[in-house]
Amino acid sequence: MQADRRRLNAPAGGTAPPVFASANTSPPRRRRKADEHRKIFLQTGIVPSAAGSAYYELPPDPATPPLTRKSSLKITCTVHGPRPLPRNAAFSPNLLLTTHVKYAPFATKTRRGYVRDSSERDLGLHLETALRGVVIGERWPKSAADVVITVLEGEDDGPAGAHSGDMGSGWGMLSVLAGCITVASAAIVDAGIDCVDLVSGGVAALVHDQSSEITTVLDPAPAEHVTRAACLVAYLQSRDEITEMWMKGDAGGDLGGLIESAVQSATLARTVLVEAVKDSTEARVAAMSPPELPSTDAASKGRPKDVVTTG
Amino acid sequence: MAADTSTAPASLAFPRATFAKLTPGPFLHAHLKQSPPIRPSGRTLIECREPQITTGSLTHSHGSAVVRLGDTTVVCSAQGEILNASDTPSPPDADDGDLLETLGLLVPNVELSTGCSPAHLPGNPPSTLAQSLSWKVRTLLYGSDLVNPKDLQITFTAPKIDEEDDASVPEVKAYWTLYLDIMFISLDGNPFDAAWLAVMAALRTTRLPKASWDADTEAVVCSPALEDYSRLTLQATPVTATFAVFSTANPLKQRSEAESWVLADPDTSEEDVCREAVTVVLDGSNRVLGVEKAGGRAVGKESVRECVELTFGRWKDVNAMLP
Repeated sequence: MQADRRRLNAPAGGTAPPVFASANTSPPRRRRKADEHRKIFLQTGIVPSAAGSAYYELPPDPATPPLTRKSSLKITCTVHGPRPLPRNAAFSPNLLLTTHVKYAPFATKTRRGYVRDSSERDLGLHLETALRGVVIGERWPKSAADVVITVLEGEDDGPAGAHSGDMGSGWGMLSVLAGCITVASAAIVDAGIDCVDLVSGGVAALVHDQSSEITTVLDPAPAEHVTRAACLVAYLQSRDEITEMWMKGDAGGDLGGLIESAVQSATLARTVLVEAVKDSTEARVAAMSPPELPSTDAASKGRPKDVVTTG
Repeated sequence: MAADTSTAPASLAFPRATFAKLTPGPFLHAHLKQSPPIRPSGRTLIECREPQITTGSLTHSHGSAVVRLGDTTVVCSAQGEILNASDTPSPPDADDGDLLETLGLLVPNVELSTGCSPAHLPGNPPSTLAQSLSWKVRTLLYGSDLVNPKDLQITFTAPKIDEEDDASVPEVKAYWTLYLDIMFISLDGNPFDAAWLAVMAALRTTRLPKASWDADTEAVVCSPALEDYSRLTLQATPVTATFAVFSTANPLKQRSEAESWVLADPDTSEEDVCREAVTVVLDGSNRVLGVEKAGGRAVGKESVRECVELTFGRWKDVNAMLP
C-alpha cells in the first residue's frame, strides 16, 4: 500500500491481523422477536462547537452470555452550517448539502485506512439522497451545510467464518446506513435546518433461520443469521413517503412485503428520534432563558460570572 | 436658551455570548483583570478540567479509552497486528535499546478532521496541527520507554531433537505492532493533553492474546482463550499539562506595562487569543521528561518553574484516575 506521507505508517514489512487457532466466541443467536428492534440510544448536543450533533448507539444486549461476541453500532454525526458559500462560488438557489461518511480505523474486524474508500463514498451518497428529500433547501440560498458522520464501531457483515460470497457481502452496511440516516436527522434538527419531517432509517431482511425456512426479521444483526435479502428505507412517517431505498440480495416474489417490513422498522426507530429531538429542543429553550439572580458565593462558584464590559 | 444638561449617552451593553464572539481578547482580559482573576468558564487560573475516562467500549480493539476533558472528547484504540521478523529489513540487535523505534512497532495517529470543530472539517489531508500532534505523541511514547519491548516480542524455542544438541536459544519470530488511533469527536482546546491521556488509558487496559510460532505452518497463531490474554507491563506513567499565556504586550506600548497571566488547560476561546504556550511532561514525583515553551517572551524561568510544580500536583491526580 502506498505510504501516506502525512501520517505515521505501519512498519515497512507490513503487518497482518492475528490469526486465532479456533473461533474464540460462539456465534450469537437472535434472541428478540422477529418484529422487535434493538434498543436505540440517541443523544444530541455532544459537540457544542458544531451547529448540531448527535450520537447513536445500539448497545449490546446485557443478557447475552459473556463469551458471545456482542455487536454494537456507534455513530457520531456533526452538522456544520448553514454557512455562506465563498464569494466566487456560483449562485445556488438551494442549500448545498455535503455528506461525509467515514469508518474509524478500529470500526471493523479488519483495520481500515484513514483515506476514504469507495464503499464509504457510496454510503455518503446514499445518505445525501435520503436527506435531500427532507431538507427544505430553498430557505437557504447560496449556503452550504456539511453533515459529517464518523462510524466508531460498525456491524459485522455476516456470521463469523461463514461464506458470504454467494449472496453478496456487506449486509452490515445497510444497518450502518440506517443508523446514519437516523443520527443525521437528529443532528440536522439540532442544527436548526428546516425539514419537512423527521426521516428515520429502517432495515428488514429475509433470513434463513435454524429450520432453514425463510422468515422476515426487522432490524437484522447480520452476525446472527445467514441473510438472503435485505432492504433499507428512509421513511417520513407523517407524510408516508420514502426518500431512499436500497435493496440487496434475492427477495424472491415478495418484494413489496419486504419494503413494508422495512417501513415498519423505520417507524420503530422514529419513536426514539422524536424523544431525542424533544430533549434537544427543551435543552436549547432552557439555555436561552434569562440567567438566575446572583446567589451566594458558594452556589455560584465555578459558574461563568458576568463582568461589566462597555462597547 | 441655556443648553440643557442631557444625560450621558447609554453605553452599549451586549449579552455575554455576543461580546465573547465580537472581541474575544478584551473579553478574556476583562475577566482576568478582576481580583481574584477568573476565566470566562468560571475556572481559576490554575484549575484544570476534571477528565472522565471510560475504557473497554470498543469491541474490535485490544484496548480502548474514551476521555472527556470538559467539552473535548477523544477516543483512542490500541489494536495489535503481527509483524513477522522475516519482513524486517535486518535482524535486530538483541541488546538494542531502541528496538521499538527502529522497527516502528508503536504507530500513533491523531485524526482531527472528523468535524470535531468548525475549523476541522473532513476532506482535507491532515493539517499541521494533526501532524505535529501525532509526532509529539510518538516522541513521548518512544522517549519515555513506556512499553517494554519484551511484551511485544513473539519468541520460539526449537525443541531439542538429539541429546547432544545444546539447549536452543529462544529466537524472536515476530513482533506485535500496536496501532494507536486517536480520533477527536469534539475539540474544545488542549488536544495534546486529551490525546495523551487517552493513549495512557488505552495502553493500561490493552490485553494482547497469547501468540506463538507454529513451526509447521511457519506462521504466528494466537490462542483464543480469554484467560491467555495478557496486559502490557508499562514502565512509566508520563502525564502532560499544557498552559496558555495571555499577554497584553503590544509592540506600540512599553514592555513594562504589559501584563500576563498563565492559564492551565486552556479551552478553544482562550487558545485563540493566546500566542504563547508551555507544555510540561512529567513522570512520577521527580522526573521531568520534557518542557516545551514557544510563542512569546512573557513567561520566564520563574513561571516555567511554577508550571512544573503545578504539573507535579496534576501528576498525582491523574495517576489516581488512570485505570
